[in-house]
Amino acid sequence: MSFMEAFCSPGVLCQILLGLSRTVILFIVASGLSLILGVLRIPNIAHGSLYMIGAFMAYTVSRVFGGGTLGYWMAVLLAPLGVALVSFIIERGIFSRLYEREHIMLFLLTFSFVLVFGDLVKLVWGAEYRSVSMPGFFQGSIRILGLPFPIYNFILLLVGPIVAVVLWLLVNKTKIGKISRAAAVDREMVGAVGINVSLVFCIVFVIGCFLAGLGGALVSPIVNVVLGMDHTLIMEAFLIVIIGGLGNIWGALLGALIFGLTQSLGILVWPQFGIVFPYAAVIVVLSIRPTGLLRSTW
Amino acid sequence: MKKAAIMGMSIVLLGFLGVPFSFGAATIKVGFVDTYSGPPSVYTFDVLDGFKMAIQTINEKGGVLGKKIEFTTRDEKFKPDVGLAMAKELVMKEEVDILAGTINSSATLAVSDFAKREKIPFICTFAKSEKITGEMGHRYVFSVAENTRMIGKATAQMIAKKPYTKFWVAGEDYEYGHAVGEASWRYTKAVKPEAQLLGQTWWKVGEADLAPYISPILQAKPDMLFMGTGGVGNLNFLKLAKAMDLMKQVGIILHTSIELSNLQALGQDGPEGVMGTVNYLFYYPGTPENKAFVDEFRKLYNRPPKVGALYGYAAAQLIARAYQKAGAVDREKFITAMEGLTVDSPVGKLEMRACDHQLMLPMFFGVTKKSPQYEYLIAGDTVTIPGKDYLPTCDEILKVRK
Repeated sequence: MSFMEAFCSPGVLCQILLGLSRTVILFIVASGLSLILGVLRIPNIAHGSLYMIGAFMAYTVSRVFGGGTLGYWMAVLLAPLGVALVSFIIERGIFSRLYEREHIMLFLLTFSFVLVFGDLVKLVWGAEYRSVSMPGFFQGSIRILGLPFPIYNFILLLVGPIVAVVLWLLVNKTKIGKISRAAAVDREMVGAVGINVSLVFCIVFVIGCFLAGLGGALVSPIVNVVLGMDHTLIMEAFLIVIIGGLGNIWGALLGALIFGLTQSLGILVWPQFGIVFPYAAVIVVLSIRPTGLLRSTW
Repeated sequence: MKKAAIMGMSIVLLGFLGVPFSFGAATIKVGFVDTYSGPPSVYTFDVLDGFKMAIQTINEKGGVLGKKIEFTTRDEKFKPDVGLAMAKELVMKEEVDILAGTINSSATLAVSDFAKREKIPFICTFAKSEKITGEMGHRYVFSVAENTRMIGKATAQMIAKKPYTKFWVAGEDYEYGHAVGEASWRYTKAVKPEAQLLGQTWWKVGEADLAPYISPILQAKPDMLFMGTGGVGNLNFLKLAKAMDLMKQVGIILHTSIELSNLQALGQDGPEGVMGTVNYLFYYPGTPENKAFVDEFRKLYNRPPKVGALYGYAAAQLIARAYQKAGAVDREKFITAMEGLTVDSPVGKLEMRACDHQLMLPMFFGVTKKSPQYEYLIAGDTVTIPGKDYLPTCDEILKVRK
């Protein structure tokens, strides 16, 4: 079997698609992180916690609406909004007062929120594992070239481009997007021309956290909602943002693609060591382009 | 000012006086070191509650040798070094007579080593490492829970007689995962020489998105999948199994897949048709002993008991009986009394095997199925594997201890 033949086999195609569906979740979460990093200059370690809160909120909402199909849709709709609300409160209440401080201060503050949110989630939802029901028509697999492929992952493949397009429109076609891009480059100047920078920061922060919540809600039917689900994700999201270029949303997309695909294809090459590949890719990327693949806003 | 000083002094003095009064020779003190925070606490609180329930009854009947059994707990936060430090503190400061816990295998081995040096009895109530009563076993350590070697042998017992020939081992990349997978395969191959191992897949602990790992396995077309996941990893796998309808394509056995903590968490999202083994099911066997146990547990805690409750209950019964048999609160006499001791339990008589200090629990095998009675799946087609059939033999243990 030649290399091309092997590469075009249904198995590899399946792995690529699975890798892409993983990419979708990673991109949604990492783009929010990158947005905040680019505009507010806050390396928000608590981003993963907001993702976890999104998943827990999705659980509660879906339970309130009786599980099933309605519960799922309400969860995907309301949980990110709930996370946005939480982020609005902490931004107005705490972060907005500290933008003048050094990065390290803000960094430590976000770290403290990791601990606070972790304990809050434990207080509110407890340490038990939670599961969000998948709507009936998303269950099961479809056959792609004769191989089973989970339907929900397929749905994620459709959601990814939608989120990317909406983000693109938001950043490039709206006023707030233009202002935030300008603020990312030179925030003193934006303030000097009479724009309320504090408000822009607030909006961007909330949007970024909304994305974290959305990621958490979308992932909730395929994983188990559990304390600690934030830890692995935040590490991956940071690596993605770093290899993509700090603060660059498209860098986050590229990073997520690299991460998702190297992982899924790596498993095919060497199943025992599948987890190593994305990290190896990070090392390779950073040794070639230490500032990330795309232009960093920092 | 003077008043305050006197008050302070008297509190300090009372503190000193309090020591002999609160836990002198009048009680038997058990110190639990376990994970009481974070995800593993799903299992550990059942151990404690089962233990509490048992000693409550024992104490009401006058205790053992005229002494009440008391316990104190320490949260080791799933960290071996913390666990060891706390075990030391319990022995040195709290002067406990017996140590018990933990759910973390490394912590258990660390505490076990300390127990050996201090010559203090230690009862392992959850950790699954086969080394605890195997390679690293000694006079002072006991286990009331199953271990990876036992899981492997029980799995082989059930699977080898079924018509599977092409196997795959998959799970989380940590000691428990590898040990369960490896033992299941090793014992199966021993009884079924024609069995073939097509391959293995390991993912990092807690990995949530398993589809990219499972898909290549299906392409290799094994007919039996030995799973080595634990804790939340079980749930991640079971959810995917349902989403991909894996059971139609390959046989799956996962230890504790039929356990309440997993199936309850999944609710109606649990997959039907997954095989599994576990030491306790609250609805099976339907003996009066088990029913009474479940009723009492429900009355006290308003929930059905999970597997940990049996471990905690058994530990308490063993402690009480052993002291009674020993006739004195003496560490060495206690150990000798424990060896070969038999106690009653919800799952029948249980013997503490003398050769390796491993409790001979029955193992229940079952297949997940929906039930009209519960909001979650339960085990169907249940089979009981008696302890003597799946515990490694004493010869086997003696060999690995060398």
